[in-house]
Amino acid sequence: MLTPPFVLHRPTSVEEACSIAADLASTDRPFDWVAGGTDLLPNYKWHINPKGDVISLAHVEGADALEANRVGCMARLHDVAVSDVVHPLLAAAAAKVASSLIRRSATVGGNLCLDTRCFWYNQSEDWRRSIEWCHKADCGTGADCRVIPNQNTLCVATYQGDMAAAFMALGAEVELVGPEGERRMPLEDFFELDGMKKNVLKPGEFLLCVHLPDDAGTRVGAYHKLRVRETWDFPEAGVAASWIPGDASSLRVASTGLESIPGLHTDVVDAHEDWTETDGRKRLSKALQKAIKPVNNTALPPRYRRSMVSVLASRALRAITQED
Amino acid sequence: MSGGYRQQPGGAGGETRKDGKRVAGKLRFKPPGAGGSRPVSTPRDLDGIPESVGGNEPQPAGHHVHDRLRTGTTVGRPTALVDANAKVTGQAWYGDDVRLPNEVIGRILRSPHHYARILSIDTSAAEAMPGVVAIATGEDAPKTFGVLPVTKDEHAMAVEKVRHVGDLVACVAAVDEATAMEALGAIVVEYEELEAEFDPRKGLEDVDEPIHWRGKYHVGRTNVQKRVHQAFGDRSNIENAAATSRRAWRFEGVHHGFTEPHAVVAHWDANGRLQLYTPQQVPHYTHRALATVLDVPMHQINVVRTFVGGGFGGKSDPFPHEMCAAILARKCGRPVRITFDREEVYWINRGRHPSYIEVKLDADEDGRVAGLDVDALIDGGAFASFGHVTSYYNGVLATAPYELGSFHYTGARVWTNKPASGAMRGHGAVNTRCAVEVGLDDIAEQLAVDPIDLRLANLLPPHSRTISGFRITSNGMREALRRVREESGWDEKFRNMPLGKGIGIGCGFFISGSGLPIHWDPNRFPHATVHIQVDMDGGVTVHTGAADIGQGSTTAVAQVVSEVLALPLDMIHVRSHESDTSPVDLGSYSSRVTFMNCNAAIRAAMEIRESLLNAAWDMLGYHPSTLVMVDRRIVYKHDPSIGVSYLQALHKAQEDKGALIARGAYRSPPMGGVHKGAAAGLAPAYSFSAYVAEVDVDVETGLVKCTRVWAAHDCGKALNPLAVEGQIIGSCHMGLGQVLSERMVYGRTGHLQNANLLQYQIPSVHEMPHVTPIIVESSDPEGPFGAKEAGEGPLLPILPAVCNAVYDAVGVRPSSLPLTPDVVWADIQKRMKAEGVEDPLDLEAPRLTHGPLQEKLASRGEEHHTRDRARQRTEDTSPYVNGVLFGFDPTRPIDEQLEGWAAIDDPDPESMAEMGYAGRAWLKQEQRHMGDDA
Repeated sequence: MLTPPFVLHRPTSVEEACSIAADLASTDRPFDWVAGGTDLLPNYKWHINPKGDVISLAHVEGADALEANRVGCMARLHDVAVSDVVHPLLAAAAAKVASSLIRRSATVGGNLCLDTRCFWYNQSEDWRRSIEWCHKADCGTGADCRVIPNQNTLCVATYQGDMAAAFMALGAEVELVGPEGERRMPLEDFFELDGMKKNVLKPGEFLLCVHLPDDAGTRVGAYHKLRVRETWDFPEAGVAASWIPGDASSLRVASTGLESIPGLHTDVVDAHEDWTETDGRKRLSKALQKAIKPVNNTALPPRYRRSMVSVLASRALRAITQED
Repeated sequence: MSGGYRQQPGGAGGETRKDGKRVAGKLRFKPPGAGGSRPVSTPRDLDGIPESVGGNEPQPAGHHVHDRLRTGTTVGRPTALVDANAKVTGQAWYGDDVRLPNEVIGRILRSPHHYARILSIDTSAAEAMPGVVAIATGEDAPKTFGVLPVTKDEHAMAVEKVRHVGDLVACVAAVDEATAMEALGAIVVEYEELEAEFDPRKGLEDVDEPIHWRGKYHVGRTNVQKRVHQAFGDRSNIENAAATSRRAWRFEGVHHGFTEPHAVVAHWDANGRLQLYTPQQVPHYTHRALATVLDVPMHQINVVRTFVGGGFGGKSDPFPHEMCAAILARKCGRPVRITFDREEVYWINRGRHPSYIEVKLDADEDGRVAGLDVDALIDGGAFASFGHVTSYYNGVLATAPYELGSFHYTGARVWTNKPASGAMRGHGAVNTRCAVEVGLDDIAEQLAVDPIDLRLANLLPPHSRTISGFRITSNGMREALRRVREESGWDEKFRNMPLGKGIGIGCGFFISGSGLPIHWDPNRFPHATVHIQVDMDGGVTVHTGAADIGQGSTTAVAQVVSEVLALPLDMIHVRSHESDTSPVDLGSYSSRVTFMNCNAAIRAAMEIRESLLNAAWDMLGYHPSTLVMVDRRIVYKHDPSIGVSYLQALHKAQEDKGALIARGAYRSPPMGGVHKGAAAGLAPAYSFSAYVAEVDVDVETGLVKCTRVWAAHDCGKALNPLAVEGQIIGSCHMGLGQVLSERMVYGRTGHLQNANLLQYQIPSVHEMPHVTPIIVESSDPEGPFGAKEAGEGPLLPILPAVCNAVYDAVGVRPSSLPLTPDVVWADIQKRMKAEGVEDPLDLEAPRLTHGPLQEKLASRGEEHHTRDRARQRTEDTSPYVNGVLFGFDPTRPIDEQLEGWAAIDDPDPESMAEMGYAGRAWLKQEQRHMGDDA
């Protein structure tokens, strides 16, 4: 298995990174950003949309910031997991990502920008050739989606990052920078419902850091992840919840590993103000389950994953209410 | 007495009492010339010498024929594997570590279609590419091969048809991998797609284009490769069954998941001989297949077995890529190296067969197993591989350890357009064993008895015969069961723990070496041969063809030689890599190596021992029967101060003939019945095991976590307890994979969806329970120093133990593996629906109130305990055959006593079809019986 050759650019500042990106764009050279590389490089090895140029953020100054209200894109998940500065919910979620070995390289930015996954897509080139490609990596053939045939406008590959749910539950915002300058938005707006597009990043733009609101420190949170093995596996479902103890209306619940994007379930939560009571909690959990529709493209069947949403949500809610 | 060397009384190094007298047996001898890395000969350690020959080692199972060869040197001591240093320091050379000068890289073009006819292959563009040195296609190797002589159905590369996605079509050798990959892309292949089949159940139907064609032996126009039927015993026993358990199981295919992917280097040397380097479990069969496919005599091929990075049965076929490398190397005149990606490893597969198995158990009012009916439909994938044997093993290896009133087996193996299934640790026995053991638990539940007591009251004793005629010699089943019961605290825990926590039992039975070699003709060859050479330096070189695949066979051979000759392990050098220098050994499969190879090694070492003792006789004047071998010395039994050093004796023995050379061979004794398939499952000895597993089940999510395992395995005699424990723990891990998470997922389109180690979920260290290995030693009369296998048998019980523990925890009995959380969750939901429970946490854990039968079974178990102990120690040598429990006289042929008790040779298609999927394979006729119009 050979990694296709690529040119690696190693900028040391945000400005340099942006100018390299602008240069490449101006000469029509497609490129990828790389942080820890634990998601991108395996995909390259499988010849999944490899590009000729890769810009590494590893040496960008300040990108590995790890503060209570600001986490840089290059902050390594291992460092987040063992940090006593960041919110405990983030540390807990980071500790559940992949394996200890991978967490040493993998980063917060990489996890948030994780490529969506699908068992028709995360396969070798020979394998994908034998199914005549798929919509997400069609190699110019205009191939149909293999999960839900006869529709090829939307890719339904599943987003399986853990950190997004935890960040959303804490009300995080992301800071994006690019040749056109920087912008900030709530994390839930960062993701875009399409397994191919994944997020709102424009060409040449990258996620620089994540900001947490000032009141995040007062929140109590929990993240529950469904997976077959206690290490290495991507979430088959994940639910994060947090609230400011005593203030039922401050509840935020986010899910991941279920659809093409992670979701913050504001509407459902708002409709269940009595969630702190046992019955209310059950109703909210069931309502969350109804709001989510996984498809059949990961290890476990979608019906089961969907049913587990209420179990995970119920457990997360119980955990945060018992802690105070 | 001349030339002898007498230690001065009380001399240097000797231990003396206060009064100045020597302590017998406690002398510390100085050299001269003792050899070895320790200068001083250590005294005999009586703890390592069996009671029967005057030592302190307890022998609860009685004496053994090899006892007089014991010197207390290494056997029975935890011993680090002799190749451990090479492995932990990275010096071991695996398949891909072989680098020959001027090598080129081979890559394989694989089929993108499940099933297709090859219309044309155009390699011209690829050949014209710079850097490409050779291209080969199926035309270059028209001859078929296969591991079993009766089912040679593989080609080096596809001839005429491709049979699964990933099937080999062509191969390229180029100066580097990138060029080779590019050249593969330039090969143009035209296919005509054929209708593919992935469901083994549909393989029983007639189709236009069967995946293979067996001529007059072909079953209809189906995809049935092999069908098997066996029936023994008295069917009337099941008519008044007090309890019946019938379950249809589905087992997914699993893969060995070894660390090292397949790799091969082929090189035709200056003399035109092929040197082939490959990590193989069975180099000899590769050797044979290469000779056939390449059309060169076997003596022009040297198969070099590299270190093997895990095999587990997955490296025991001759492989097409090995042929490809040799063909490419012959074409380009340069060494060719081919290394697989992980995905290619899954495409060559040979993992455990995906199976549909139906097991029906009937117990009579005395709690005896009146009937065991097994129907196994196994999915062979595109090629035969070991499948012929697997078809039998799925049934016949269920005939012990319990005494059966009757046994019916129908088995069928079908071809499908998937990578070929083959042999994997616990070959053929694992799935059926799981179904049988879970069935027994079900029976125990119905009879309201403890499942361990049910088992203890139905075991075959040592030195008995199974219903299908297997000869059981040593049998530690009862001790294994009793020990796991005691150590796990079974009686307090079983049916007594809260919801979500459970404990379960499972037993295992496996062959220790296959009684008949795969190559029947010429079948006069021994199964294993070992050569030993001892030159003047005193080092002992052992030549064996046994393939160490990490199980420690090299260490075991070194140990037995060291034990017989009383030499430290570092004086024994095992050479086992090259077919040029190694005597033929049939390979590492069927758990045969320790049993057969060590027996051969002991025989060879005995010859060397005899030469040395005769030399010492010459020097000391004492007859060899009065001499004993101690650490690098030969001494007079009654006065250890009289003796010669090992080197002195060796030099004396070499005086006229030079280096001592000896050989030993092993052949299994003639055994078995005369019915069709009688040879399948025959073994010179059988291993037994019993496991208790404890699990936590999350009743809301269905996640199963195995927390504790008590694992008792009867290996006869643990030559190396460290290795045996390693095998037990490793088996637990591998078995847990199959029971909890591992499966080869074939999706909607028939593609293997998880050909990588992320999605093929092998349990991690987090899933690994704490395993307490318990070694049971039943001292097999024919095993080397009493030893039997420990490599495969220990895998079997973990599957049913976990399944039964899941039932104990949540009251749902699984009928498919693996128990991924969605499967268990669905079962729990079903139970909730049936019981009208809303919240899974409100379910009740199963409880047991002993029924009237319990006491009867417990006392029968105790009686049998006394019976078995006497038989084990050969105090009771009366014959015993399966059926005695049902009132038969073992001294008369059992079929004379009852008309119904016989092997049924003529299957009745109608009644067999009722049994299950495999039974339906008998509804079709073979072509030869179909007349001219067929």
